[in-house]
Amino acid sequence: MKKLIWFTTATILFLVFLFPAVLAMGIKLIPNGDQPGYNSDQRLGVYGIRDISQKFISEKANLSAIGTSIRNPNLQNKKDIIFTLFDEKMNIVRTTIINGRNVEDGNFIKFVFEPIFDSKNKTYTFEIVSPDAGPGDTIEVFYVENGISLQSMPNWIVEYTYDKKIHKGGLPIVLYFKPTSKFEIIKEIYTNLFSRFQSLDSQKI
Amino acid sequence: MKRLLILAIVLRLLVAGFLFHPDIKTINFQASFLKTGVFNIYTYLVDNKKSLTLKDDFVYFPLTYFTVGGYQWAASGVLGKGFDSWLADAGSYSAVENPNIFKYLVTLKLPYLVLDVLIAFLLMKFFEDKEEKKKAFVFWLFNPFTIIIIYVFSNIDIFSVILTVLSFLMIKKQKLFSAAIFLGLASGFKLYPLLFIPFLFLAGRNLKEKAILSVTPLITFGIIILPFISSAFFQSALVSGLTTGIFTSDFATLALSLLFFYVALFDKKINLFNYWVSMFLIIFSFALFHVQWLLWIVPFLVILCIKKPDLSRLIFFLGAIAFVVPLLFQDRYMSISLFRIYSTWFDMLPTPFTLVQKVYDPLNFQFVFHSILAAGNLVMIYKLFKEDDVNDNII
Repeated sequence: MKKLIWFTTATILFLVFLFPAVLAMGIKLIPNGDQPGYNSDQRLGVYGIRDISQKFISEKANLSAIGTSIRNPNLQNKKDIIFTLFDEKMNIVRTTIINGRNVEDGNFIKFVFEPIFDSKNKTYTFEIVSPDAGPGDTIEVFYVENGISLQSMPNWIVEYTYDKKIHKGGLPIVLYFKPTSKFEIIKEIYTNLFSRFQSLDSQKI
Repeated sequence: MKRLLILAIVLRLLVAGFLFHPDIKTINFQASFLKTGVFNIYTYLVDNKKSLTLKDDFVYFPLTYFTVGGYQWAASGVLGKGFDSWLADAGSYSAVENPNIFKYLVTLKLPYLVLDVLIAFLLMKFFEDKEEKKKAFVFWLFNPFTIIIIYVFSNIDIFSVILTVLSFLMIKKQKLFSAAIFLGLASGFKLYPLLFIPFLFLAGRNLKEKAILSVTPLITFGIIILPFISSAFFQSALVSGLTTGIFTSDFATLALSLLFFYVALFDKKINLFNYWVSMFLIIFSFALFHVQWLLWIVPFLVILCIKKPDLSRLIFFLGAIAFVVPLLFQDRYMSISLFRIYSTWFDMLPTPFTLVQKVYDPLNFQFVFHSILAAGNLVMIYKLFKEDDVNDNII
């Protein structure tokens, strides 16, 4: 019986206090926040020379990936989708290619690239294009241009270009940054947890 | 004993406050309408689906609604003003990042804690020997399975489980009619106790008693559901996947029927405890079960572990295997996402399903574990019937 008591006590304490730290060791990218809300009826088609580009500001160093939701009904696009990242002077900084076969309809897709160590507070533009796709292979990206959603759009999402026209707002994107160390992630997770736990209201039981 | 009880409560409060399964929020959102005077939750949710932020049907039976809703009304002073807006919050991030979530979870899981501790004391009543009583107390309170099933997965099945334990206490005292009423009440929370009616029928000594024992749970259940009979109730609860899930497997139906015909034709001295445990062992062997269902059998396995200590290691091993089977569903809230209170960054991690997928077909992997579980369960059933004198002392 003693063994069982010790085993269960140790298991539960491990589960509550240490296991989250073990899980945190597996985190390779940290998102800069939640995906901004968008209206699923507002979409832009991308195929052939019809591309979309988005200007944004990276708030942190080590920019490593950019994610957004993409529609690909019935996996109709099986061509390459090319993601190109440019710096402020429109020099190519990174390029990532994924195949339409791997883009399930409506999925949140992450374009992962080598970390950019000095990305903090720098302005970038990315372009999404599927040059070999015809009108029948169109993929669609969601965008936010006006209405309440635009007001809730974070200010680091600056503007987007579609059909050679520049518009305010843009794609509901999430930026991902490579953490400097595992310890940093663990520290941040527990600090955040205990700051919420200690907030006055949560103590009143 | 007092110190052990305190330790058991502390462990439970820790898990209750820090681990979150969204079912507790959904059930409490639905049950919160009791405070506003809604009696028939089934039709209310169907009629108002468009305007509600959470659009799920109420898949449980009426007593769950009144118990959870009633407790919520009683605890509303503790839960505070922001509680209802938290319940209605459909945002997957804002719900877990709310600083009050610890208070909400501990408060909402408190009834589970009371029933959980009560079950420990009820289990002691199955034994005369002091040492065995203590074992029952410790085996129930200090096995990791029940803590995880009840407090991580926010398991409302505990309401029906405690009633089934009471039912078997009545069977031990030869009060079969009271036992049948408790089973009927238990089915007012979750339908599964009604599966036992055929065995109750066979346990009756004469035709009259057989009829009374089998009809009593049905009448009790019928009285509970009568005011709610509607197409909304039928679709949401009575034929929902949660209720009919057991019968999605042909093998489960086949094996349960085999068990029934065996007892009807060959067993002259029916031991209800054996059939109750075997019924669940069959279900977990052949049906794709939810992890919450495992709680149905645990109190009875505790009794078995004490009366038949040589089975205890096998039971513990099979318990661990039974946990692995649902863990391999492609459902984030079976694993990683249970820790989202700590950080939503855990959304970046792959599920066990995705991890296994990199090297092997996870469904095959799950099938292997399920087969091992089934084999172990079938051996246990064999042992139960081969040495059923062991349980004559209990029931």
